[in-house]
Amino acid sequence: MSPLRMAQGRLRISFLLVLVIFLSFFVRLVFVQAVNAQDRAHQAARELNQTVDLPAPRGEITDRNGNVLARSIDALDLVVDQNLIGDPEETAKLVAPIINASSSAIESRLTGTRKFVYVAKDITPAQWLKIKEVIVSNNSGKPMSERIGGFFTQRGFKRDYPGKTLSANTLGFVNSEGVGGGGIEASMNTLLSGTDGVLTYASGKGPSIPSARQSLIPAKAGTNIRLTIDRDLQWITENAIASVAKSTRAQSITAVVMDPATGEILALATAPTFDPNKFNLTKSNLLQNPAVQDSYEPGSTGKVMTFAAALQEKLIEPTTVFQIPDKIKRADRIFNDHEPHPKWKLTSTGILAKSSNVGTIQIGEKMSEDTLYSYLTKFGIGQQLNMGLPGESAGIFSPVNKWSRSTAPTVAFGQGYSLTTIQATSVFATIANGGVRAAPHIVAGTSNQNGHYTPKENNSGVRVIDKEVATTLSLMMESVVAEGGTAPSAQISGYRVAGKTGTANRFNDKCRCYSGYTASFIGFAPADKPRFVMSITIQDPKGIHWGGYLGGPVFKEVISYALKSYQVAPTGKLNEAFPLDAATLKKREKISTAASVRD
Amino acid sequence: MKNIRLLRDRFDLPLLVATSLLLGIGVLLVYAATRDWYASAGEDPQFYLKRQILNIIIGLLLAAGAMSIDYRLLRAYTPILWGLSVIGLIAVLIPAFGDSVNGARAWIALPGGLQIQPAEFAKIAIIVGMSMILAEKREGSQDPTSLDVLQSLAVAAIPLLLIVAQPDLGTTVIISAAVVTIIAASGAQTRWPIGLLSLSAIGAYVVIRIGVLDEYQLKRLQSFVDPTADPQSSGYQLRQARITIGSGGFFGKGLFNGPQTNGRFVPEQHTDFIFTVAGEELGFLGCIFILVLYSIILWRALVIARRSNDIFGRLVCIGVMAWFGFQIFENIGMAVGLAPMTGVPLPFLSYGGSSMFATLMAVGLLLNVHSRR
Repeated sequence: MSPLRMAQGRLRISFLLVLVIFLSFFVRLVFVQAVNAQDRAHQAARELNQTVDLPAPRGEITDRNGNVLARSIDALDLVVDQNLIGDPEETAKLVAPIINASSSAIESRLTGTRKFVYVAKDITPAQWLKIKEVIVSNNSGKPMSERIGGFFTQRGFKRDYPGKTLSANTLGFVNSEGVGGGGIEASMNTLLSGTDGVLTYASGKGPSIPSARQSLIPAKAGTNIRLTIDRDLQWITENAIASVAKSTRAQSITAVVMDPATGEILALATAPTFDPNKFNLTKSNLLQNPAVQDSYEPGSTGKVMTFAAALQEKLIEPTTVFQIPDKIKRADRIFNDHEPHPKWKLTSTGILAKSSNVGTIQIGEKMSEDTLYSYLTKFGIGQQLNMGLPGESAGIFSPVNKWSRSTAPTVAFGQGYSLTTIQATSVFATIANGGVRAAPHIVAGTSNQNGHYTPKENNSGVRVIDKEVATTLSLMMESVVAEGGTAPSAQISGYRVAGKTGTANRFNDKCRCYSGYTASFIGFAPADKPRFVMSITIQDPKGIHWGGYLGGPVFKEVISYALKSYQVAPTGKLNEAFPLDAATLKKREKISTAASVRD
Repeated sequence: MKNIRLLRDRFDLPLLVATSLLLGIGVLLVYAATRDWYASAGEDPQFYLKRQILNIIIGLLLAAGAMSIDYRLLRAYTPILWGLSVIGLIAVLIPAFGDSVNGARAWIALPGGLQIQPAEFAKIAIIVGMSMILAEKREGSQDPTSLDVLQSLAVAAIPLLLIVAQPDLGTTVIISAAVVTIIAASGAQTRWPIGLLSLSAIGAYVVIRIGVLDEYQLKRLQSFVDPTADPQSSGYQLRQARITIGSGGFFGKGLFNGPQTNGRFVPEQHTDFIFTVAGEELGFLGCIFILVLYSIILWRALVIARRSNDIFGRLVCIGVMAWFGFQIFENIGMAVGLAPMTGVPLPFLSYGGSSMFATLMAVGLLLNVHSRR
């Protein structure tokens, strides 16, 4: 074989080799693009499609007039596609100072191969603009491969409480996962949350593909909740108790303003309180709502129920006279009045006005234990309120068969059982409302995202005592606020005010013993046509601990404002109060007899 | 008529037509692979389109030069081209000059954002240099002596070793294939091509066993066997490449309409993985058309070689054919999963300056041989 021919032969061989290779490509392409094409196309579609959760805005919580107490405001979350970050260290150095984070923390979030990583939550639009600026100036003039990409933002929501501490204990707060962590935010979380939407879109390794198909399930905004709270009255109440909290160094103070006709809570204040915008900086014990969660022995304010029962059962009249020593022994216990005194001859009104324990025990003994128990129960003692707030306490009130022989006298003057501030306020509201107990509530209604408002159904009231009995008791309670009563500081000029003070021995959970006091005042105005009931409860005040002395001025301040702002006309003065003691009673009887003789 | 005959004498029409079509398709594919990417970054979407057209214009000028240059001058210039290539290949290994991309030092950065890949020019230098030596003393029909073969091997070995040092496995394989083919075609004794083939086989085995390969190269080889082995980088690329080609189907999604391409799922889709763009957007038909065009080019290279009475010209054509053939095989084979992953561009289609210049110069050489038969 000649060399040239041999070379020719080799050429042919190499060309054949090339042909074989190309044929194999052909076959391979048939398999990849024709036989398995469907699979590949599906695979491609799967990898292309990205889904993003669209967070639903949380419903608003407003006061009774639609003023916003809690709202969702737009927030931006900074997100990164780690695949598009060439140099995490350098990039972190650029971005970290803008969002007030440390470079090393940001660097670790930029490093990896995940396509969706949160870098920072709740950045401001200004911060996002700054980040974009920094990246653009960093990128200009650099080749494509060294540029920073991959940052984008996701729209989210942030809970905002424009009133800061306003109504905080009722509203609660929302935790970083967007779940309500206390108050209405927690108990009505499902309603408030709404339903997140889903966006599905085609996306490449980087920006979304223009003109690519998208499918959207829109987010459903949460339901708005309207409370019975009056924002302005709430604010006045909070300020009033805050200053008392300071001066008395009390452990806590709660105040409730209620509309007696409806049971609507117009203000519910707690001191000390917190700012739900900064709940994570707050001690957890401040996040509670003591007005519904904590129960305590009411003391003298509880006496009004004993009087109500006795009046309703016609066992006493406002002017029934009692002989009252300063101490009395029942079973193995000796009960004292607040201060030693010679034997008093007081009318039942006088007993209430001077808040005599011994006198009240004597009135209580006119009825059976079962009667006393049933009246307290009808007033709501030991009954769950179900207002829709978390951790509501029903208080403690043991049934009669568990009573000892000293229980009934104890209960008669307001110890031996416990209630919450709301329950206590409700007792007075019942008297103010002509003996009908309207269930206390704080949620007025809900409105969906279309603005359709649904008022919350509330049970019509339940009668506890007769209207006449309630009116009589109310007149008796005006003596408490009058001169000679325990709370003259609660008087509001131009209006009649009824009320009762309480200064109870306070059971301390820490030492499991009685130490300190619960000072309280509960009253309503105008007494002849009640519009507002208010309770002030001061737990463990230091120094002076008399409920009338501490609570009266707060009542006056808040209810004066309420009467003005609700434009309640002044009602003048009480013509003639019930006599407080036997001597006054006799004098009056003489006068009236003389008058009748003249007729 | 006379003009057309003159034209046909100087130019090989099928070669010209196939080359032009490939260049045209290549420009469109590069544009398709980069326009959305740049547009979404707020940059000129035609950036790569313009650069590639510029590359082709420069390449065509170089091709015109290679085509019209006199053989004798070619002999004079070849040592210079070879020397420059070797200097360039040494330079890329020096950190101050060379740029490292994907674990390999293969580029020299020039001012103005230009990069030069000396290995591309080394291909031409080696093919022309070996052909010169093997053709030199053959006035009669004498076969090249063993000394000639060794000399020609030395011409190839120096740049080849420097390329191995980068390390650039793909180019090493391409040049080795061209070297063996040239020696086989030169009429050297059968033991030379057979021996070199065996040596390459043993060399490849040793390289893999001893671990001369860098980690990234091993990973690429493993990925070829099992694409899920390294799912994040090279395995990811191969898997995405196959998904992209496969999703094109028979007719393709249409130019500029490939969602995988527009989403840039395949890294380096405008350079080494340009065939995936063809696969998705032009479909099976487009891919076969491209393969037919490549076949035409290889066929014409062989025809020109066989028609040439000049041994030098014939060896150059055979060398170019082997180069193109192996490079196409490596690149498309990688994209469709028939060959391991190596970073070599697809001739005429991939974006890139040095590769385009060298490829078009090689076409110029084919036409030079054709016009001188």
